[in-house]
Amino acid sequence: MNESLWYVSRATGVASIALLTAVVVLGALVSGRRRPHGEQATVVMAVHRWLSLGMVAFLLVHIATAIVETYVSIDLVSALVPFTSGYETLWVGLGTLAVDVLVAVLATSWWRHRLPERAWRVVHYSAYLLWPMALVHGLVLGTANEMPLLATTILCGVVGVGAILWRLLALPHHDRARRDAVLEQEWT
Amino acid sequence: MTVDTPEDLVGLLDAAGLTGRGGAAFSTAAKVRAAHGNGAHLVVNACDGEIGAVKDGYVVEHHLDELVHGARLVSGGGRRRRQVRFAAHRGSLTAHALGRAGLDVLEVPDRYVSSEETSLISLANGGLARPMTKRRPFVMGGTDQAGRRVPATVVLNAETVWRIAQVVERGPAWFRSFGTAREPGPRLVALTGAVARPGVLDTEAGVPMGDLLDAARPDPGWEHVVVGGLGGVLLTADDARSTTWSTAALARHGGAVGPGVIDVLDPSRCPLDVVTSFLTYAAGETAGQCGPCMFGVPSVAEAWRRLVETPSTRELEAVRAAAGLLPNRGACRFPDGVGRFAASALEVLHPHLAAHASGPCPTERSGHRVHRA
Repeated sequence: MNESLWYVSRATGVASIALLTAVVVLGALVSGRRRPHGEQATVVMAVHRWLSLGMVAFLLVHIATAIVETYVSIDLVSALVPFTSGYETLWVGLGTLAVDVLVAVLATSWWRHRLPERAWRVVHYSAYLLWPMALVHGLVLGTANEMPLLATTILCGVVGVGAILWRLLALPHHDRARRDAVLEQEWT
Repeated sequence: MTVDTPEDLVGLLDAAGLTGRGGAAFSTAAKVRAAHGNGAHLVVNACDGEIGAVKDGYVVEHHLDELVHGARLVSGGGRRRRQVRFAAHRGSLTAHALGRAGLDVLEVPDRYVSSEETSLISLANGGLARPMTKRRPFVMGGTDQAGRRVPATVVLNAETVWRIAQVVERGPAWFRSFGTAREPGPRLVALTGAVARPGVLDTEAGVPMGDLLDAARPDPGWEHVVVGGLGGVLLTADDARSTTWSTAALARHGGAVGPGVIDVLDPSRCPLDVVTSFLTYAAGETAGQCGPCMFGVPSVAEAWRRLVETPSTRELEAVRAAAGLLPNRGACRFPDGVGRFAASALEVLHPHLAAHASGPCPTERSGHRVHRA
């Protein structure tokens, strides 16, 4: 039983990484200057949102099984407070920190309609921090000695970095350029 | 008339039927009631922001005491006295006059959209003088785009505030002895352009527009007039002479009394070029926030320039289509006004465009000295 929990925890961890990467990639697609338009945008946005909730389901199982199984000492506190775990303090802590940031991202998205756009945006940008944290956490702890799992995690990293570069390296948008040009004028 | 309580003031304004003289013609009683209810700060708009407008400056120059009294009446209501500021374009004579009188002057950049109600509220609260989205009226307080709190503020046009003082002093019956039942009260109108006697007239709704024009002695050859500036409409001399000065009558031409500007176009200048310069100015005045303002207004100007260059049905339809896309989409009504102006120019200058398409400009043919700007 304990052994199977350990395997479930590792499997859901890798699944969470894959889903998180997919969510990040979709997020980069819908937020960048080359974002899709019309129906396409609606579909991509919907998948981005629902996939993030699916990812949370896997993540909850990953965390719960990691606490319950007794191979390594991770308790409820160290699942919430970073760098308190007895086992691999730094690398487990990195995962915990990613979860905490994720909670903030999820909460602000859930109450997005009640928040100033800027507040939501700033918190949402932190997804670009939590994703590499989760990736390193997975790479060092769970998948380092299993080739298929290691390959999956590395592939996630490559795809994610590619999507972020695709977003950053877009040409300046004429809308943004015009806004900035007008803002340069005398307005006070 | 005695005004002991805020309710007295609102009651008087209601009885008088005073509406905003800045252009939107909204009930002043309703605004003052909301201002008292919310303890709103007051901004008196003396910017004369519309092209050709000078009447706010006229009020400051000739009726400053009553203006200040009116502002006190509005701001004095409620539990405590609220801040009163007088907005005028930086460096203008009006700003200097207000400053000399020791009033709190809100210096506004000389931009078309900067004297818009929400632009002034933004500027008064340390923001940029650009329009804000009205999720609800700012007289109730609200938030700007960045989510910062904006205190309850009411903006009233300078003439409106002067009229408030007049209504309190002379009573609603006196006020209603001017104008029409639907548009009661005296109102100022600025006459400008190709006239021998430019200036401000204290008139009323319902008088023949021909009388107002004749009082200013227009150029004998005048053919077109712009009523209400960039947010108004173009009229032919015949239409102008056969209508009365009221929103009810001007509505037939898509116009309104608006901010009270009658601009007689110089008959020696091709009216197409005049419209081009109006629209080119409009394109440069975008606030850079909403699509219809940022891209729509410049594309109307561009379509118009192409039409003037090569008059054709296709180019004409392009202007009509571009102008038709502007209304009801921006944070403020600037694109709506430009769309209305462009549509009326198309309508009124159709014969002139047709003449351009088939030969030289009729303005040049008529032997007038032609100077292009």
